[in-house]
Parts: sequence; C-alpha cells; structure tokens
Amino acid sequence: MSAEELSSSASSSSDETLERDPSFKSAEGGGVDERLGSVRLEDEGDVEESRSDRVEDRGGEAVVESNGHGGDEGECGEESLVVETEVGDASGDLGSGVGGDGAVVERDAGEGDGDDGGDVPVLKTAEVVGSEVVGEGSRPGLEVGSEWRRNRTRSNSEIEMDDEQSPSSSGYAGERGSSNGAASSASDINEIVEDDEIREVGDVDGANGGIDSQSDWVPGKRHADEDDASISWRKRKKHFFILSNSGKPIYSRHGDEHKLAGFSATLQAIVSFVENGGDRLNLVRAGKHQVIFLVKGPIYLVCISCTEEPYESLKGQLELIYGQMILILTKSVNRCFERNAKFDMTPLLGGTDIVFSSLIHSFSWNPATFLHAYTCLPLAYATRQAAGAILQDVADSGVLFAILMCRHKVISLVGAQKASLHPDDMLLLANFVMSSESFRTSESFSPICLPRYNPMAFLYAYVNFLDADSYLMLLTTSSDAFYHLKDCRIRIETVLLKSNVLSEVQRSLLDGGMHVEDLPTDPSLKNRTLSPRVGHDSQGTFRESAAGIGGPSGLWHFIYRSIYLDQYVSSEFSSCLRSPRQQKRLYRAYQKLFASMHDKGIGPHKTQFRRDENYVLLCWVTPDFELYAAFDPLADKGQAIKTCNRVCQWVKDVENEIFLLGASPFSW
Amino acid sequence: MGCSSSLPDGSARRLSGMDQDSAVAPDAKNLRVKLVLLGDSGVGKSCIVLRFVRGQFDPTSKVTVGASFLSQTIALQDSTTVKFEIWDTAGQERYAALAPLYYRGAAVAVVVYDITSVDSFTKAQYWVKELQKHGSPDIVLALVGNKADLQENREVSVQDGLEYAEKNGMFFIETSAKTADNINQLFEEIAKRLPRPLTS
Ligand SMILES: Nc1nc2c(ncn2[C@@H]2O[C@H](COP(=O)(O)OP(=O)(O)O)[C@@H](O)[C@H]2O)c(=O)[nH]1
Ligand SMILES: [Mg+2]
Repeated sequence: MSAEELSSSASSSSDETLERDPSFKSAEGGGVDERLGSVRLEDEGDVEESRSDRVEDRGGEAVVESNGHGGDEGECGEESLVVETEVGDASGDLGSGVGGDGAVVERDAGEGDGDDGGDVPVLKTAEVVGSEVVGEGSRPGLEVGSEWRRNRTRSNSEIEMDDEQSPSSSGYAGERGSSNGAASSASDINEIVEDDEIREVGDVDGANGGIDSQSDWVPGKRHADEDDASISWRKRKKHFFILSNSGKPIYSRHGDEHKLAGFSATLQAIVSFVENGGDRLNLVRAGKHQVIFLVKGPIYLVCISCTEEPYESLKGQLELIYGQMILILTKSVNRCFERNAKFDMTPLLGGTDIVFSSLIHSFSWNPATFLHAYTCLPLAYATRQAAGAILQDVADSGVLFAILMCRHKVISLVGAQKASLHPDDMLLLANFVMSSESFRTSESFSPICLPRYNPMAFLYAYVNFLDADSYLMLLTTSSDAFYHLKDCRIRIETVLLKSNVLSEVQRSLLDGGMHVEDLPTDPSLKNRTLSPRVGHDSQGTFRESAAGIGGPSGLWHFIYRSIYLDQYVSSEFSSCLRSPRQQKRLYRAYQKLFASMHDKGIGPHKTQFRRDENYVLLCWVTPDFELYAAFDPLADKGQAIKTCNRVCQWVKDVENEIFLLGASPFSW
Repeated sequence: MGCSSSLPDGSARRLSGMDQDSAVAPDAKNLRVKLVLLGDSGVGKSCIVLRFVRGQFDPTSKVTVGASFLSQTIALQDSTTVKFEIWDTAGQERYAALAPLYYRGAAVAVVVYDITSVDSFTKAQYWVKELQKHGSPDIVLALVGNKADLQENREVSVQDGLEYAEKNGMFFIETSAKTADNINQLFEEIAKRLPRPLTS
C-alpha cells in the first residue's frame, strides 16, 4: 500500500491526538516564485527588486512545504516554495548572455593555488535568481520559551525490580573489549532527575550574544505529568518519540514515556502496517503536522512537528537522536530485542533524558545539527598549533582521538593514524559531555560509542573539564587505560597552561568570532586577523559608522561551510538578531535553504536569493564551500551579492584562525 | 556552595588532592588505596564522595556517567597518611557489565544503600555477593546506610544493616552526606582497617 492511502488513516489518528496550535497563523506557501531578469554586475541599479508585501494570513491553513520526497508526492498540495537555480559553470566571459534565469557564478580558474584573493570564487554577475518568499510563520509567540520551563522529578517506581538478578540477563552487556564475565549490577530505580538548577554554563547571553543562545533553556524532561490526553501535550509544536517495534515507549520529549504506551502502540501499528506491505513509511502529512518515521532495526523513531521544517531536516534530527542513543548504548542493544521482543529499554537509558532534551534543544540553535560539519573556536594560528602539537603527542601514545573543545567548538583535535572522526559523532559526543553535569565535577572515565566510527563497540572516554568551558576528551579502545589517560591529561594541561592556550580560549570566548560589522570594506586589505577586537583600528571596517545596524549592505549574519574541511564558521549575530527567537528563526530558514540546496542533485553551483519580511537570504553553494547569508529585508540585492563575495574573501583571509587546518584528513 | 557549582576553579581542585603528584611512594607511612563505591543509582554515592573530598553537599542530583575519579588524602593520628583514589560508579544498568572495570584491583569497596529504601538495601546485598565472588580476596568491605538524616522515612533499621554487615565481615556505618554526619568517620575507619605494609 502506498503512503498516500495511508495518510488518511494516519491523519485521522494524529488529528485525534494533536491539535493545531491556534496561535499559528501566517502561512507559508503563499510565496511568489519570482524570477528576476538577468542582470549584470554593473547594472545593479536595474535589478527589479520587486519586493513583495504579500504577507498572507491564511488563518491557520498552513501549507506544509513539500519537496517531493519519496512517498509523499501525492501530498503536495501547493507548489514548492523552493526556488532552485541551476547555474552554468560560467567559465566564459561575464557578459555572455546567460539565460534569463541562469545565475552566473564565476569561479576562478586557478582555484586553490596562490594565496591572493583570486582563488576565492567570486559571485560576480549579479544574477542570482530571487524568489520573494512570503512570510515564514513569523507570528510572535511561536515557540516561546514556555515549553522549556518546567522540570521533572522522575521516579521510575513503576519499574519492576528483580532482586538479585543480574541486569545483564536482559541481554544488554555493552560490548567491552575484554572479559565481562562478571557482568552484574544494580538496576536503575529511584533515579531522580531534579534539574531545576542546572544551567548551561557560561554567559551565553553575554557580549557575544552567543550562537549558543540557550539562556532560556533549562535542560531535562518537560511536562512529565502530561500524556496524550492532555491538551497541553497535544499542543506541543514538536514531539520526538523513540519506541520499540513491539510498541514499547523508549523516549518521549514531552510527557512520561510510560503514560504514552497507548500512543506508542498506535505509532507502532502504523509503521508495521506499512512495513508489512513492503513499503517504507517516511512521512505522513496531517493538516499542518508532519509525522516522520525512521526505522532502525527494532527501534522506531518518530517526529511529529508543525514547525514547517523540511522533511529532510526532521529526518536528519531523528538520525541524530538515534545516534545519541547508540552513543550511550551501542547498537548491541538490538540483541535485547532479539531475545525478548517486548524488552523494556527505558531502564538502560536511565538518567539520560537530559542528554536527549539537550540534543533536541540544539536543533534550534546549533547549525552543526543540519550542516553536518563542526566549528572551531577562533584562535590565533600559533595557539591552535600549540594545542594540536601536544594532542598529537598524546595520540601517538595510543590514544585513538584526542579532542580539546570549548563548549561546542573545537580548539583542536587529533586522531590516531587512519582514524577519522565524523562531525556528527563530535556533535553527539560534545552534547553528551556538556549535558551530563557529572563530567564537570571531576575527571571521568566512561564507556561511549561513536556511531559513525563503530556503532557496535564501546570506546572509553576520559573526560576532564580544564575550566568552566574547556574540556578534554581522550578516547581509547582500551578499558584499562584510565591512569595512562590521566597522565596524558596532566601533560596536556601543563602544556596548555604554559603556552597560555586556555587564557587565549577565554579571550576568544569574550571577543567572539567574526562580527559582520568588521567585514573589511576594502577586499584588498590583506593579512587581516580577527583579533584583537578591542581597540583595533577601524580602518576598512564598517564598525564605527554602523554600530547597532549590522554589517555593510545590511549584512546581519552568515555561515560559511567548507566542504573539504568539514567545518563551518558562523558569524556572531548582529544586534539586529539579538533575541534567541530571532536567531532560532534564522537557523530554521538556513536549515530550509540547506535542505533545498541539497535536495536535488543540480549543478555544481547553485544560488538562491529569497526575500521575505524578516530578511533577505542569500545562499551560494559551490563544490568547495557553501555560504548562507542573511541581510536586512530591505537590502539591495546587488550590494548583497557584492557583500557575499567580500565575506568569502574575508573567510579566506582569516582561515588560519577560524579553521583547524592541516588536521589529519577526515575520510568517510 | 553546592557541589555542582563546585566547578573546579583551580584552587578547590588542588586542595582536593586530585592532582597531587604521584611522587609520594606508597610506604608504611604513606598509603595509597584504590576505593570503589558501589550501590544503586540515587543512594548518595556521589554526595558522599563530594562531601568527603570537597566538603560540599548539593541537593540537586547530578547523575553520574560511567565513573568519576577523585582522590583525597587524610592523616591519621599515628601520623600516617592515606591517599584514597576513589571510583564513584554510576550504578546504572547500562554500565553493569563494566563494573568490574572499576572494582578490579580495588583495596576497598564501599557498598552504599539508602536507609529510606528497602530496594536499595537489597541491591546492596547483591553487590556484596558480587564482590565476594569477583573482588580481590583481601578487599576491605564497608556497608554504608546513607541519608541517615531522613529518620522519618527510614525503611531499613540500623539493626538490619548491622546484622548483615557482621554476617559478611563488613564494617558498617550510617552516614548523611547532607549533614556530613559520619562521613569522615567512614573513611577514617576504613583507613584503620587497611592492611599495612610491614614497617621497616
Ligand atoms: N537527605 C539526604 N539526601 C541525600 C543524601 N545523600 C544524597 N542525597 C540525595 O540523593 C540524591 C542522589 O544522590 P547522588 O549522590 O547523586 O546518588 P548516586 O547516584 O548514588 O551518586 C541527590 O538528590 C542527593 O541530594 C543524604 O545524606 N541525605
Ligand atoms: Mg552518582
């Protein structure tokens, strides 16, 4: 049977349980797909900036975007919002007639060699096809922090406890390298999670207006008292569930897993109904809700969302949630289900609610969750080198990965020969360490699994916070390496202190990274560095004149992702994007751009230009990098394009400081 | 100050002795012992350690992941010092198979239960058996009934704890990490019971 047919049954079942959020009105899909004529760079003035003011309020009749993914073609009610432009390779001359809707991106022939500005591809002819997209649900009050406020005291008192019985009889025994004959332990009753006072460490709302705008966020389980009968539960904008293929709840973002047993069973029924028919169920649309399924062996992951995020993004989030679970348990947990289909997995995840809720929270503030790239803390080249050298030293002594991080940013990292670390694994590992408060208390030695490295086996992680923000993770395959790793940490810490790396790190945290206001106006100014920010000369920068209104040409923010390095750099938010809500909205918009740019395999160069009442978004994808930039909604298109070129040049000029270069190649 | 906010600003950390160099050779006057805490999740193992090592108590629970390592040195009246290298285990089911990793080679095992929970007492007995089977033969075992400040919720009597401990040749004490009651005594008593290397 097909998903279309299914959708009717599915939609009725979700309609029962999920109500529309009445506060959401502005609809998407009323967008104008407007292709602007071909314009040459010199003619910017002629660009028809047909700014659309058609912000439509469709009274809740939200149209969910469909990018036409397998299984849901039949559901596309509206034309796709996404405007994608195939771009010619345009190595020819600039003026050559590019078709009416072809954007010209000229890349320098001598790419990669030489270090003059010439090797940065230039988005030259102002021929970015624009769509004036109308209103992404911009109602105030969308997903305000309220859903983050409550906490939970969890008491698993309903879990039956088997005295004397080794919990390993459940079949779960991790996967240790060595003998585990003496498998035994206590089960996890009376786990109390009282997290009202846990807060993200650090001044995230401070001067740098942090990317990690988590100030309002309190980790932990939300609304534990809710179940699927609660109105409040149904109104949550975004639900995540993990359940077993026998319908047993494993995790729910909102509400108590155990009270949601009935609901889980419903989800399970839907999935197996489709699977038995030989189809894969991926997506069900029900009104403005999307229900997305991800099947991983005996484990089902489900997202129910009315946030209008693209299917691909939500699916990516489910993949990350699954990865987080694997990081905690390894894939050998599947064996428990082989032994007992009705196996209850919740005790195995005891105390990890906070890890999942923190991951889910990061979907709205951490671009790494959809870029699949990591980001570095900006540091002087020599400083990062110093850190890298001592990590390398340690890696040579039998450590698999040595990773030094500051919050969610990498200071330096080194892998043993041939070992490579996937950015998603780094994200999940950092999330695990940062959300588990106990790592901050003392040095720890804990089994963890890197799902992209080897989902079947545990590695052992030595974790130590060197100060409130910076932490060292040493990963090894050997379960008795603790004292060796402890010695390594002492050596590393000594070197870091001697070479002032940690104080440089703290300074970088204060200074922030790339500020759009600092974008050099004169691209010929070379050898610029990012720091020091305080009291630096204002020559060639936009800062003085523009305090408080963003960067040149109304540039508010950008993200630059280097394909080869698997790294991205995200600018600080300009003052026009101060509030966490604005930032979250921008990330959602980027995420949507990202999904649309990666959706279909079109040409090597792609650009997209969108204007709505919140901002102008410009996206430029080449084989080497991707640039996402946000401008003032009134920004001039030609200027915006010029500015993007300058951003790329700027990134190139300071790449030594913002990227980890020359690390062992990551290959996967 | 709570134990969570006890984020190691360098000084507190040095004081805790965690990083003290290993130069102090274990000799008759300066002992070094590996101690492991076992017991159900939530009985207060981490709080006991943090009370002992840092003198702090934080009522908000920080669920331990894997195992934490801390150390603390105490001086006894006979002017010997004992450096405890403490493994505070998580007690969660998913780490069950890994427990031997932490108790292997331990000279001391402290099995903790919560006096307000019979279940945790049952679990403690499970751990004792486990250690008797797989721990080092001359391991010093201590049974600790924690949360002694919660008298009104008591489910395990002193008598039951004591009897079980005596039957199994363990040292028994009730503690409160919250009020600090008997915390130092616990470690001092353990120190006294350690087998001493022969004095030269
Ligand atoms: N009243 C009281 N509560 C305690 C005591 N020790 C620990 N707790 C509480 O018990 C909970 C679990 O403590 P924790 O040390 O994390 O347990 P662990 O899992 O065994 O490490 C925390 O909420 C503590 O505040 C105590 O002596 N008295
Ligand atoms: Mg603990």
